[in-house]
Amino acid sequence: MTAPKDKPELMKNGKRHDGRSPEDLRNIKIEAFVLNNADGSAYIEWGNNKILAAIYGPKEALPKHTQDPERAVIKCRYSMAPFSGNEEHGSSRPSRRSIEISKITKEIFEHVILVEEFPGSEIDIFIEVLQSDGGTRAAGITAAAVALATAGIPMIDTPYAVSVGKVGKDLILDMDYIEDKYSDADVPMAICPRTGELSLLQMDGILSPDEFKKAFSMVKKAGDQITKLQRNALQSPYQKTMDKYSKEV
Amino acid sequence: MAKKILIPGDLISETPLKMKETIVQDGKTYATVMGVYDDVKKSFLPLESLWFPGRSDIVIGIVESARLNSYGVDLNSLYKGIVISKYEETKFNIGDVIEATVRELDETNTVVLQYPKLLSGGKIIDVRASKIPRLIGKDNTMIKELVEGTHSMVKVGMNGRVWIKGGDINLATEAIIKIQQEAHTSGLTNRVKTMFQQANASKGKGKVEEEVEQ
Amino acid sequence: MQKINMIKSEYLRGLVAKGMREGLRDHFSYRDIKLTNKFIPNAEGSTHVELGNTKIVVGIKMGVDSPMPDRPTEGNLQVSAELLPLASAEYEVGPPSPDAVEFARVVDRGIRAAGVVDLDSLFIEEDKVWTVFVDVYVLNFDGNLFDAATLGAVSALNNTKMPRYEDGKVIRENMTGKLKINNVVTSCTWAKIDNKLLLDPTSSEESIMDSRLTIANDKDNIRAMQKGLHGPFTAKEVEEIIDKTFEKSKNLRQIIEKTKE
Repeated sequence: MTAPKDKPELMKNGKRHDGRSPEDLRNIKIEAFVLNNADGSAYIEWGNNKILAAIYGPKEALPKHTQDPERAVIKCRYSMAPFSGNEEHGSSRPSRRSIEISKITKEIFEHVILVEEFPGSEIDIFIEVLQSDGGTRAAGITAAAVALATAGIPMIDTPYAVSVGKVGKDLILDMDYIEDKYSDADVPMAICPRTGELSLLQMDGILSPDEFKKAFSMVKKAGDQITKLQRNALQSPYQKTMDKYSKEV
Repeated sequence: MAKKILIPGDLISETPLKMKETIVQDGKTYATVMGVYDDVKKSFLPLESLWFPGRSDIVIGIVESARLNSYGVDLNSLYKGIVISKYEETKFNIGDVIEATVRELDETNTVVLQYPKLLSGGKIIDVRASKIPRLIGKDNTMIKELVEGTHSMVKVGMNGRVWIKGGDINLATEAIIKIQQEAHTSGLTNRVKTMFQQANASKGKGKVEEEVEQ
Repeated sequence: MQKINMIKSEYLRGLVAKGMREGLRDHFSYRDIKLTNKFIPNAEGSTHVELGNTKIVVGIKMGVDSPMPDRPTEGNLQVSAELLPLASAEYEVGPPSPDAVEFARVVDRGIRAAGVVDLDSLFIEEDKVWTVFVDVYVLNFDGNLFDAATLGAVSALNNTKMPRYEDGKVIRENMTGKLKINNVVTSCTWAKIDNKLLLDPTSSEESIMDSRLTIANDKDNIRAMQKGLHGPFTAKEVEEIIDKTFEKSKNLRQIIEKTKE
């Protein structure tokens, strides 16, 4: 890709180029119920990423040959706006990368959604990346989980995702675009917080078995924070009115 | 705190319980949708959930196709309604709004409807199905309040659709939106009552807007 | 187009006949408009538009390309529109529908005809000019995409930074220059329902309208027009629409000016 001489200094005195410590997340803001045509929706700002997730369904699966008489079919489209990156104008056609991310995202939610409750139906998950700065798949999955809950689609858990990267000898949580570009490894993971199970695991680069163990524990630890933000996004619209009127009874 | 808002995957009980919109795994009960768990009453009220057709549910549908011996009915849901003509007297046109009762759900997600009745004129509002029980209220208290406060005719479909005709349709619409937004709070019936009192006082006693003419 | 049932359309027609409409508006007013510039800092220019419940993002990217053979000294302008499937149950994944193509072309036409972007300023060297990519992203559909997108596109162009072109490379760091803008254009879209004219139709109103007319204008002149759907307009109606459009567009231009840097 880029010549090593271009590589910026990613770690300096234990701090990252944006001042974070290795185990720090970027700032994350999640808002639920943001689009009124969709059956469910959420908006996430994760660092400089800006991503919308929307749910349509369950509805009759069309064309008919895609129907599964035993369970709901999950369809997922992850896509990036052509203006989302800070480089040149992107293509609006799905890239091989987008197609793969759509597939692995769909598979996460096939696991958590009670698909057997809706035979013959389809549930559409749309993830639109409006602005990207590294880690969009993790942010998109985290937002989609919130959007599914707002749609009233039954799930055994509310998953979240985040990735761990490696820069030289250091493992760093939640890489931004620059870190990702020059990192030695990238390990995105999605976790079902209740059981701690992994529902997404990818990796490229170089990583020792011990480093993987450490990466996994970093992801689990970050999960406490991410899960809390998901929970707040879902609860706060309700909690506000509940608190407002709780004294009146 | 006696009442807690849960999200999918949250623990409800260390013991297996049989409740709507929950799942039992390894002997424990977990929520599968967002809902309010009341620790005192041991009840789970879903906040966001989908309608599953139950026998004798009343629904509001829109006739969307007419075949030789049946009508296809849109139910604002995954499930498609069907009215089998030979059992029914009434003839319908495409676009008609009807009230009907669920007879059964077949394996193709089709809901067989019976006792269809034409609802002419008025307005329909789509509501989240999970808010319908609150809109009806315990012993129909909320719906009675709505009818008295607006002088509108109101029919509520369990499939998440409400039909209103006559009286103050705008006020009724606002009240339904309010009930939907505050369905999880206590004292709602009283607040809706107050809303009507204020609205009716401000426009002069007894005077109700005329229904929009067709 | 949004599906609508007979009872809803009867109700809406009833309101229209009385000079009313949903949302407590009269026939000649817009819904609330909110423009947020720099919504996408990664893009060279961007605006998030809310027109009632219609939500749109417009992103601007600059790229280097060859000029059109018949205009060798002018930059290129490319307007695309995506009706994202998350914006409406009626939108589908796949190649652009005829609606999306018409939509992008109408927005493009107003901007081009009014000479909003100074295309001459985009010349770099022989066979190299800047291309302005205007991408209109519909996030939530509730009618009148034309006016919302034109507002967003013009506002975003007004706040677009220029990258530099050095040694055959586009440099996007520390952009100080701005895209040169020569004019401001806005559009007003009118729906005709049962012989009544309504400005800024919602999706429900669009689903019962007989015809639609969009007028794009700058301060003094009409710059583009587009009539849609089967119903006709009388000459008198068109004149009325033009007059009212000039009146209404003053406020739209102010909204754009207010958000300009």
